[in-house]
Amino acid sequence: MSHPRDAHAALIDKICTVNLQTTTEPFDAIVIGSGMSGGWAAKELCEKGLRTLVLERGRPVEHGTDYITEHRAPWDAPFRGMEDRQRVQERQFRQSKAGPFNEHTAHWYVDDADNVYETEDETPEEFLWVRGYHLGGRSVMWGRQSYRLAPMDFEANAREGRGTPWPVTYADVEPWYSYVERFVGISGEARGFRQLPDSEFLPPMAMTGAELHTKAAIERTFPGRAMTIGRAAILTQPHMGRAACHYCGPCDRGCSVGAYFSSLSSTLPAAQATGNLTVRANSIVHSLVYDEELDRVTGVRVIDRVTKEEMEFSANLVFLNASAVASAVILMNSATSRFPDGLGNQSGLLGKGIMDHHFKCGAYGTIPGFEDRYYYGNRPNGIYIPRYQNLPWDSSTNRDFVRGFGYQGGAGRTLNWGRGSGMPGVGVALKDELRKPGPWQFVMYPFGEVLANDDNRVELTDEVDQWGLRIPRIVGHLSENELKMREAMVADGVAMLEAAGATEIGTFEDPYRLGEGIHEMGTARMSDNPQTGCVDAFNRVHEIPNLYVTDGAFMTSAGCQNPSLTYMAFTARAVDHAVESMKNGELRV
Amino acid sequence: MHDLLNPTLGRRAALRRLSGILGGIATAPLVSSLLGGCTPPEPTGYAFATLDAAQQRTIAALVDQVIPATDTPGAAEAGVPAFVDKILSEWAEPDERQGFLDGLAAFDARATEEHGAAFAGLDAPTKQALVEAIDAETYAPDAPPADPPPFFRMVKELTVVGYYTSRIGATEELRWNPAPGRWNPDLSLTDEMRAWA
Repeated sequence: MSHPRDAHAALIDKICTVNLQTTTEPFDAIVIGSGMSGGWAAKELCEKGLRTLVLERGRPVEHGTDYITEHRAPWDAPFRGMEDRQRVQERQFRQSKAGPFNEHTAHWYVDDADNVYETEDETPEEFLWVRGYHLGGRSVMWGRQSYRLAPMDFEANAREGRGTPWPVTYADVEPWYSYVERFVGISGEARGFRQLPDSEFLPPMAMTGAELHTKAAIERTFPGRAMTIGRAAILTQPHMGRAACHYCGPCDRGCSVGAYFSSLSSTLPAAQATGNLTVRANSIVHSLVYDEELDRVTGVRVIDRVTKEEMEFSANLVFLNASAVASAVILMNSATSRFPDGLGNQSGLLGKGIMDHHFKCGAYGTIPGFEDRYYYGNRPNGIYIPRYQNLPWDSSTNRDFVRGFGYQGGAGRTLNWGRGSGMPGVGVALKDELRKPGPWQFVMYPFGEVLANDDNRVELTDEVDQWGLRIPRIVGHLSENELKMREAMVADGVAMLEAAGATEIGTFEDPYRLGEGIHEMGTARMSDNPQTGCVDAFNRVHEIPNLYVTDGAFMTSAGCQNPSLTYMAFTARAVDHAVESMKNGELRV
Repeated sequence: MHDLLNPTLGRRAALRRLSGILGGIATAPLVSSLLGGCTPPEPTGYAFATLDAAQQRTIAALVDQVIPATDTPGAAEAGVPAFVDKILSEWAEPDERQGFLDGLAAFDARATEEHGAAFAGLDAPTKQALVEAIDAETYAPDAPPADPPPFFRMVKELTVVGYYTSRIGATEELRWNPAPGRWNPDLSLTDEMRAWA
C-alpha cells in the first residue's frame, strides 16, 4: 500500500535528536525551544535553506512511539484516573493543579521538585507556571482551540491609552494567519464576526441538538451575541499528509496519526524533511552570547540537563522560543556591560506585565427536551461565543469593565457513571440508572482578557537550581478590572442558560491564579521604541538585529482568545523578516 | 467493539474489522497504537497489602450489594476489592486508611449487633436491607456534610469508580470504544442503548 501518509508517518517516526557537543561548524540559525512557536521557527528557517539547530531543554520524544497512554483503556491506568496521588504530592504538587493534568497526561508535565520557581512570600494565590519539558513542549498537550485576534484587539491599547500600543495592525498579520492556518488545519465555521475574524477553515465539527437549541435561543434573545462551533487545530479531513480525527477524545495523550497539530506531528517533520534540521534535546539554555564589537548575538550557552556539561553553540541568527517566562529569564541572564539589565531591557520592562487568560468561573444547567437523543464518538472540541462586550463600534455593549471575554463550553451527556457516587441508591436500581447516559448538561466556560499590569512580573532571585541557573520569582495577581469582569462572566452565563430554558442552573466561582490559563505571555512586549518595550514590530529585540523572540513573551495585550495561533503567525512573519534582512544585507551574515 | 481488544482475536481479523469501522482511514500508527493496547483481563494475582482475609470478605460482599451481578457481573467479579485495597495501600494517607478500616470494623459490628453475624455471613435479603438502610442514612437530604466522608460514602465512590473503569464495567455493562472513527452528534437513544464508558 502506497500512500503519502505512510511516507509521512515514516518520516515523523524519527525526528533524530543528536548529542552534539561543542561544534566548530556554525549553524545559520539556532532556535531555543521546540514547542508551538519554536517548531514554526524551525520549519520556516529550514525551508528557507538555513541550517538550523533546535535546542530543547527536555527529553527527546518520538512521535507515536512515546504516546504511552494513547488509547489506554481505563482499567490499564493503575489508579483508574484518580492519579498517583502520593507521587503527585511529592513531585508534581504544582503541575497537578493545572486543568488538563490527569493520570493519563501526568508524564507530559514537569517535575516540580526539579524545576523550581519562587512566588511572593505568604501569598495563597501564587502564580502557577505549567510546563512541559520534552521535544514538542506544550504543543503536545495544548487545548488546540485556535482563534485569530481581531483588529479591535491590536487597537485596544492605543485607543484606550492603556499600556503600550501595538506597533502592528491586524492587516499586517492577516496574511500570516492565513499562511500558518493552511498548514496547521483549523476546523471551524466561517461566520464573518467583526470581533473574531474567520480563519482558513477545514469543515466544522457538528453541534449536538442541545447546542443547536441553545445557540438559537441565545442568538434570538440577545442581539449581537452568537454561538459557533469551536475553532480547533484538529483535522476533520486528511490534511498535509496527516489523518483526520478518529474521535477517540483525549487528544493530549498524544495522537499517532497527527490529527491534531503539534510540533511533533507537523512542524518538526517538515523541518526535518529539508535536511537542514538538527535537534539537540536535554539542552538547557543558560544565556545568549552577545558580542559588543559585532553588536549582535553570536551564540548560545547550554548546560546539558543530564550530564550538566557546559557547552556553546554559535549561529548568525537566534530565535528565542523558550516560552514567555523562560525567554525573559534567558534575556536577563544574558546581561552585558552594554545591556546591564538584560538584553532588550533598555525600557526596564523585561519580565513585567505578565498576562494570562482568567477563567474558572461560569455557569451550567440541564437542557431539557433531548432525553431521547445521544451521540456516537467523542468530539474533542466545544462551542465558542465570541466577545460581545465593549465592542468599540457599539456603545450599547459597554460594561463597567474594559475589554471582555468569550465563552467556551458545550452540551453533552458526559455525566454518566460519575454521578453514581453522589446520588442515593444501591443495588440493581443504581446499576440500571447508571446504564443510562446522564442529562444533557450545558457548561458556559468563559475566558477573559487580563490587562498588562507591570506589578505582575518575572524577576531573578539570587538562588540557583541544580544546573546553576538563577531561580525566577513570578508574581501575579488579578486587578479590579478582571474581578469586575468575572461577575459578568457568571451572570451572563446564567442569563443565556435561562434563555435556553435550562433547568437546575448552577454557577461556579473557583479561585483563579494567574498562569492557570497556561497562556502566560507579555514578558518582552512588542513596541515601536526601545523605551516602551523589548521587541520591535517584527519580534526583533530592540538594538540587536539578529535576535528574535516569537513565543508569548512578545504579546503587548492578550485579547481573550486562545493565543497559540497568534504566536505561530508572528513566528512565520518574523522568520520571513529575518531571512529578507539577510538577503538585502540589512542583517550581515 | 471491545472485542477488538480481545487478544484472542487474530491480528488480521482485528485489522480488518478496525479498518471497516474507521471507514478505511485506519493508518498503521493508529492500528498499532490500538493493538498495542491489548492486555490480558484484570490481574487475578493481585496481592492484597492492607485488607486481611476477613476484611476482604466483608468488602467483597459489600461492593456486590452496591453494584450486584445482574445480566452482567457485579463489582466483586470486576475486581473492585483489589482496587479498594490498592487505593488504601498506595493512594490514601495513613489517617484516611485508618479511618476506612475503622469504618469497616464499625460496619461489621453493626451487622453483628443487628443481625447476629458479620456482614459476609448474612443471607442475601438481610445484606440488601442493611446496605439500603445505610445508604438512606448516608444520602439523606438532611445528612450533614462530613470531612472525612462517612465510611459508606467512601465505599460507594470507590465501588462506582472501580467498577465502571474495570474491563467488565466499561465493556460489558457500558460501552467503550477507543476509536469511533467518526462523530455523529445526534442519534436516537433506544432502551437497549447504554452509556459510553
